[in-house]
Amino acid sequence: MRVYVNNKPVELLPGMTVKHALLKAGLLGQIEAGRKAYDEWGNEVGLAGALSADMKIYVR
Amino acid sequence: MRGNMKKLPTIILAIILTILFLTPAQGREISLRILYVNDFHGFAEPYRPPGSQEKLGGVAYLAGEVKRLRQEKPTLLLAAGDMIQGHSWANLFQGKSSIALMNLMRFDAMVVGNHEFDFGQDVLKKRIAEARFPVLGANVEGFKNGLKPYVIKDIQGLKVAIIGVVTPDTPQATHPRNVAGLKFLPPATALEKYLPELKKHADLVIVLSHIGYQADRELAAKVPGIGVIVGGHSHTKLLEPAVVGDTIIVQAWEHAKALGVLDLQVEDGKIKNFSGHLEMIKPSQGREDKAVRSLVKKYAARVNAVLGEKIGEAALDLDGEHVRVRETNLGDLLADIFRQAAGASAVIINGGGIRAGIPKGTITVKDIYSVLPFDNYLVAIKLTGKQIREALEHGVSGLEEGAGRFPQVSGLSFTYSRRAPAGSRVKEISIGGQPLDPRKEYVVATNDFMAAGGDGYQVFGEALKSSRDYDCIGGMLKGEKLVYNDAGRWLRDVVIDYLRQQKTVAPQVDGRIKQID
Repeated sequence: MRVYVNNKPVELLPGMTVKHALLKAGLLGQIEAGRKAYDEWGNEVGLAGALSADMKIYVR
Repeated sequence: MRGNMKKLPTIILAIILTILFLTPAQGREISLRILYVNDFHGFAEPYRPPGSQEKLGGVAYLAGEVKRLRQEKPTLLLAAGDMIQGHSWANLFQGKSSIALMNLMRFDAMVVGNHEFDFGQDVLKKRIAEARFPVLGANVEGFKNGLKPYVIKDIQGLKVAIIGVVTPDTPQATHPRNVAGLKFLPPATALEKYLPELKKHADLVIVLSHIGYQADRELAAKVPGIGVIVGGHSHTKLLEPAVVGDTIIVQAWEHAKALGVLDLQVEDGKIKNFSGHLEMIKPSQGREDKAVRSLVKKYAARVNAVLGEKIGEAALDLDGEHVRVRETNLGDLLADIFRQAAGASAVIINGGGIRAGIPKGTITVKDIYSVLPFDNYLVAIKLTGKQIREALEHGVSGLEEGAGRFPQVSGLSFTYSRRAPAGSRVKEISIGGQPLDPRKEYVVATNDFMAAGGDGYQVFGEALKSSRDYDCIGGMLKGEKLVYNDAGRWLRDVVIDYLRQQKTVAPQVDGRIKQID
């Protein structure tokens, strides 16, 4: 499954979550530093949130 | 005469109530409050999420808010799935604690989430039988005696239909045995089947959905006639309701950290006005529901009892100390267990995922939780021999700093030179007793952390990308490289189940990983 983290594509297995996407993008450490993950509509999403194909996630 | 006069207020009240309940909803404006949660995953107690300075959540506090808000107007309390699996508070009882909690809180309905299937269909049927509310799943075919497609509630004459749909991706994210014989239809297909019937018997249709916020928006755009979608699965913190077409969409984040509140004014079956928000839940003195607090504590005490349960015996010390620098008997044991569970030819796991050893003697559940504290699960992917070599090279590239990527393995053995430069250290590799063939494909099990690139392992992701049908059907892999994927069962539970069967373990280091110089 392909999703986009800060506009960069990452490939993951079915059943993987926002946490895996951030891990793959090398951004998981930013969450511990206080940043959050958001969907393309600007809603915060939990790290255990499910992904969907072509989903866009932003860390800020 | 005096006796009849005394009864008069009661008679008048009865007449008024009869008029209210028998009068159709037509022409009357009715206020309805919908309280909703999703993706609770057994997070009953407050906890500090990554990056947060304070503890959030605590279902006793959430229940306190439910109680207060329920008193203000007619209310429905709904759960949008993934309630029974996740945290030990739920897992150790296969979700029985979650259902007891939801019964105590008097939920009105729940939709199954994908994780409701993680303990298997027999357990899910037990949980449904215990629930004092309907458990919905209109797009799940083949699940006998359990799931209802919808329920209709009467709120002061307003007929509210609640229909449940779960993600059709469920089979890809759980063990195949958990969904054997089941078919998960596209949610829109199920809704198009039931909506005409619901429209005849209900004034308002609420979809209780566990498909994710993006899919909720697509559903609202595609299927007319839905008043509200109460969603889950994506763990979206929708601070205010969204609107797509004529459909209101809501979702309340995760883990009892928020309670969703949606107030509707409904007239003639149409939503005339609405407002909604999330109540953020965190520990606050005096705001807990006492009965729920007691239930939470009761199960928390049972968690401690389960953790203390003896599950096996170690005939010798199990070395968790040296897992980042060399082969250990504990690394061998765990890798062997995972290979058996996944049915793989080989296993490569990161030593850094093994966080403790176990001394000779009794092994308890808590010991395994200490060894494998992370919520990781097992996957198996087809790798070529060349890719296996790349993985092992990466694994031994951080020897000097004792990096967590050092591999523990099963089903294969290899030699390496510490003196050689990183990237060229691995020498001979055997798999299944035969020299590794770089062009041949092998089924290699690992954990989801590594499969997602954790500890710098890129090869698993690269293998998936190279799959011929990788981009088929919206980017969902249909199994060419992915052989095993049990996202609902943590590695430590795989080990606990093994030890309960095996009882005594006496693993020896058998020379799978040899440093030659």
